[in-house]
Order: sequence, then C-alpha cells, then structure tokens
Amino acid sequence: MTGMGDRILGLFLLVVAVAYGWVAQQWPEPFGGAEGVGPETFPTILAIVLVVGSLYLMIKPDADAKWPVGKSALELVISIIVLVVYALLLEPLGFIISTTLAVGILSWRMGAPPLRAFVTGLISAVVVFGLFNYGLSLSLPNGLLGGS
Amino acid sequence: METIGFLMDGFAVALTPYNLMFALFGAFVGTLIGCLPGLGPANGVAILIPLAFTLGLPPETAMILLTSVYAGAMYGGRISSILLNIPGDEPAMMTCLDGYPMAQQGRAADALAISAIASFAGSLIGTIGLIILAPVLARFALTFGPVEYFALFMLAFATLGGITGKNPMKTVIAAALGIMISTVGIDISTGTQRYTAGVLEMYEGIDFILAIVGLFAISELLFFVEARMGKGRSKVKVGKLTLSFKEIVSTIPTQLRGGVLGFIAGVLPGAGASLGSFISYTLEKSVIGKKGRFGEGDIRGVVAPEAGNNGAASGALVPMLTLGVPGSGTTAVLLAMLISLNITPGPLMFTQNADIVWGVIAALLIGNVLLLILNIPMIGVFVRLLSVPPMYLLPIVTMVAFVGIYSISHSTFDLYFMIVFGVGGFILRKLEIPMVPIILGLLLGPEMEKNLGHALILSDGDWMTLWSSPLAIGLWLVAGLGLVLPTLVGPIIRRRMRSAIKEGPVSD
Repeated sequence: MTGMGDRILGLFLLVVAVAYGWVAQQWPEPFGGAEGVGPETFPTILAIVLVVGSLYLMIKPDADAKWPVGKSALELVISIIVLVVYALLLEPLGFIISTTLAVGILSWRMGAPPLRAFVTGLISAVVVFGLFNYGLSLSLPNGLLGGS
Repeated sequence: METIGFLMDGFAVALTPYNLMFALFGAFVGTLIGCLPGLGPANGVAILIPLAFTLGLPPETAMILLTSVYAGAMYGGRISSILLNIPGDEPAMMTCLDGYPMAQQGRAADALAISAIASFAGSLIGTIGLIILAPVLARFALTFGPVEYFALFMLAFATLGGITGKNPMKTVIAAALGIMISTVGIDISTGTQRYTAGVLEMYEGIDFILAIVGLFAISELLFFVEARMGKGRSKVKVGKLTLSFKEIVSTIPTQLRGGVLGFIAGVLPGAGASLGSFISYTLEKSVIGKKGRFGEGDIRGVVAPEAGNNGAASGALVPMLTLGVPGSGTTAVLLAMLISLNITPGPLMFTQNADIVWGVIAALLIGNVLLLILNIPMIGVFVRLLSVPPMYLLPIVTMVAFVGIYSISHSTFDLYFMIVFGVGGFILRKLEIPMVPIILGLLLGPEMEKNLGHALILSDGDWMTLWSSPLAIGLWLVAGLGLVLPTLVGPIIRRRMRSAIKEGPVSD
C-alpha cells in the first residue's frame, strides 16, 4: 500500500490532536469567571484544525518517501546516540574531551579516516574552547581537565 | 524628507567601528554559509543567534550581524551554482542555467564577477525599495486592530507554502503544530499552566531558538548522514578575469529589470526569492528573444536571476519589519532574533526602535558594498572553502550549535530538547512537512492568541467580529486564495521551472 508514511503520521497526529484538545478542556476556570476567551479557547481551535489535517492525511496521503533501511538507518541511530551521549557527558567529562569524541565519531562515521576525524575533533574543540573561554569569557565546562 | 534624516541616523549607528566590524564579519560568514553545501541561509542564521546572545551584543549590533549574514548568504549561493552546477541555496537554482555553461567555457571568473555585480545591483535596488516602501506600509499598518492582525497572521501562514508549494494541507498541519508548541507554558493572560506536566523547565514555554536550531541544524546533519554525502568535491579552477567594462555596461538594463522584479516578488506574500529569480530570468529571456544565447552561457542569464534573488531578499524584509510577519524561512529566523531581543516587531518598531530599524537598513547598504569588495578579490578563498568536505564541516557546525544553545542557559536539559526537535524535524522533513510554518507558528502563536483574545473582548465574545472590517475580509480572502491557488496553479509553475532547467545543456 502506498502512502503508509503519511497515514501513520496522520494517525499519530490525530492522537496528539485529541489528547491536546482533551487536556485543554480539563483546566479549571480561571479566577474571575469565564470571559470570551479562556486559556482553553485557542488550544481547542488548534486541536480541531489538526484533527481535520490528520484526517486529510489519512484519506489522501502523498506517495511514500524513501526511508533509510539497513546500514544508513544504523548510521542514523548511531549519530543520534552520539548526540545524546555528547549532551550527557558535556558537563562531567568537560568540553574538550567530549567534543573531540563527538566530532571525531561523527566525522568518522560520515566517511573520514579515523585519525583525521579525531584530529579535526580535537583541533575544533580546542579552538572553540579557547574562543569562548578566553575570547568571550564564557565558561564552558572544564570537566576532567579542570584540575581544581 | 524625514526618511532621509532617519537613514542618516541609521548610518550613524551602522558606521561605528564596532558595528562595522560585525557587518564585515557577518558578510564574510554569510557568503561562506551561502556557498557551503548543507548550510542554507535560514540554517546559518539560526546557528548564529545563540552566538549573538552569548556575545552579549546590543540589539542593533545583533541585528546588523544577522542581516549581513542574510545578505551574504544570498551572494554566496551563486558560487557553487556557477562552479559546480549545484545551487548553494534554493534561489540560486536559476543561476546554474547560464552560470555553469560559462564556467565550462573557461569563463568562471567572469561569471563570478558579473554575478557579484548583479547581486550588488539587485540588492541595492531592493534596499532602496525597502527604504521607500517600508515607512509607508508601517504608517498604514498602524490602522490595524486586533481583528486585522489576526487575519494578517492567517494570511502569512496561508501564503507561506508559496505559489510553488506542494501540498497546502501539510502547510496547515505544520503551522498548527508550531502554534501548539508555542502554547506550552503559563498562559500570559490568565496564569493557567498549559501542557507543562508540572516540569519546572516547561513553565516558561519552549524556547524557540533551540527549536529552530534543532529543526534546521540537527536535522540537516541527519540528512547528510543518511545520504552519505560526506565526501567533498574536487577543486575547481577559476581562471583569469576577462570581463570587459563594456560587457558590464551592456548588462545594466538586465540588472535594473531583475532587481525591480525581484523586489516586487520579495514583498508579495507567497512569492519569495526563488520565484523572484525565476521570473526575472524568464522575462529577460523573452525581452532579449532570439538574440541571446540563454542556457549556453549568456552573461545576461547570470545577471538576471542574481539581481532578482538579491532584490527579493531585500524585499522580503519589508513585511517582516513593518508588519512583523515574515514571508520566508530566513526572515522568520531574523524575526526570532527580534522577539528574543524583546523588541515587538511591527509598525511601532519604526517609532519606538527607529535606531534599530534604520541601523539595519543602513547596514544592509553598507553590507552590500562590503560584499561586493569581498566577493571580487577574495573569491578564491571562498572557492577553496567550497571543497571542504561536509564530513568534517557538519559535525563542527553541529558542535557550535550545541555550544551556542548550552551557553544561553547552561543547562543540558535544553540540549536534549534540541536533539528531540532535530530528530522530529528529520522525520517530518522526510514526510514533506515543511519546517518554516512550524517555526512561524512558534513565533507568531502567542501574538495570534493575544490578538484573538483582544478582538473577542472588544466585541463581547462575538466571533463575527473577525469578519467585521473590509480590510479584514480582504486579508481573509487573500489567505484563502493563498491556500487554494497552489493546488490549481502550482503544478503548472513547478513544471515550467523544471522544464526551464532541463532545457539547459546540462550533462551531468
């Protein structure tokens, strides 16, 4: 069946829209009584618009895009994990170490030779760290290299 | 003329050494962003926003920096069009048609030089148009009430997909998603917590800057990873400049026509720079007729689209500055900067923040001169950078985006959010849901709700008030047309643009 992507998205958005609209109806009436527009008016309109849009997607989906399978899908997952781990380790490991690793792994996975990838990571990390810490006096986390 | 006076004040702001330095830096970085693969102008400006914050720049300097980047990116897009037959950004598509053949005939240097001159002319014409039109439009916009503003926002969303947009329903969905995200946080008028799930970080709402950087920069990285386009391109020889003065003079009428047409396309909602360069190229072709050798490296075929897209870039600033309603992705990102600087965009800006508005306009003029100077002798530098492979470039750009976001709040919570937006953006882009309406929704959502609230309070809750003034009805009508026209006319124009490109003797 063609248009699966759009149909699934439509179903997902329908759930989001209904949940979003339902939550809006649960808010207590604001202090001072109901006026023309309460906090729920605008979200309710949006929920209706999105319900209509998602139904349209499910009824008249566009042709499917090519989704990555196999190796490219794996590479994508690796990249996302690298980004999350980078955010996770930025403070404990410090900027220079974590950036060297993150930029290095990403470059390497995009096709650079490993050594050059990590050297690029190290150089860019040191340059940016220097610029931010000394040039702009904004502190990036020192982490393990911090000493005191 | 008071406009001249304001402009002089603007020059006084823009010509301070500090601001001039940032204009130069912006122009340089902008050209880089324009010519590098995988870094569109909206993307590039978005990454620079957090940097402008962390530098603690005063508002006018921050705006001057970003406007110069914007202008520079429009110049930069042509470099890879001409040398590699790959447009650096979408509006530069038409420049491939005659630019690449010129390069193949060994006239790459000439094509680059004349296109820089054409960019300058187009931008100059566009900026002059901006100076004349903006104050008039701002004065007119002062008569807008909440009802008209609400209708105007609807118009902005409806026309955002542009005449060439594919599926208007997807624009609607994207806009609704963006506005929904903007409702997270404490409701300004009643204090009700909305969709915060009790998480402290959510009370203030979702910062649109991290959403923008995630949607553009992170999703771009993922696209490159997927397509495995990491390898760089081979270096290109530019050759010697043989452009004669006579040749430059002979293209002046083309430059004028292209610039004016581009400016008009830029101001109109839903047209934008891509259409601007397309229209000016087609017009040029029909004006010159059989005498030209369009598609085979006619110099006017390079001049027309470049003048057109740079004119359009300045034109697109008109609705953004006067109404607070951007018509394109990059101007939406510029608007994000204004809002985060606590400047209310719209007609009042011309009176309350005159120094910023006119400073930016003056910076645009100065930036153009700088760009022309940068682009002719230093073209070699940009050409060399063109061969930096994305496999090194994109990870570094991503890292700079992380650092920028981190340095605003010093919280890793924001970084996770940015990654979520990046992954979401990747999936949505795969499904051809456009990003720009999401961003516009994030930016305009609160304003829309506020104006709707005001309108309904003024009318005692009567919803018919939204259609009560002739101006509002007019705006609603245009908005309706904006949604309907793409389905009727869109396929025709898209086919023409495609066939125009196919006609070119491009053998890749």
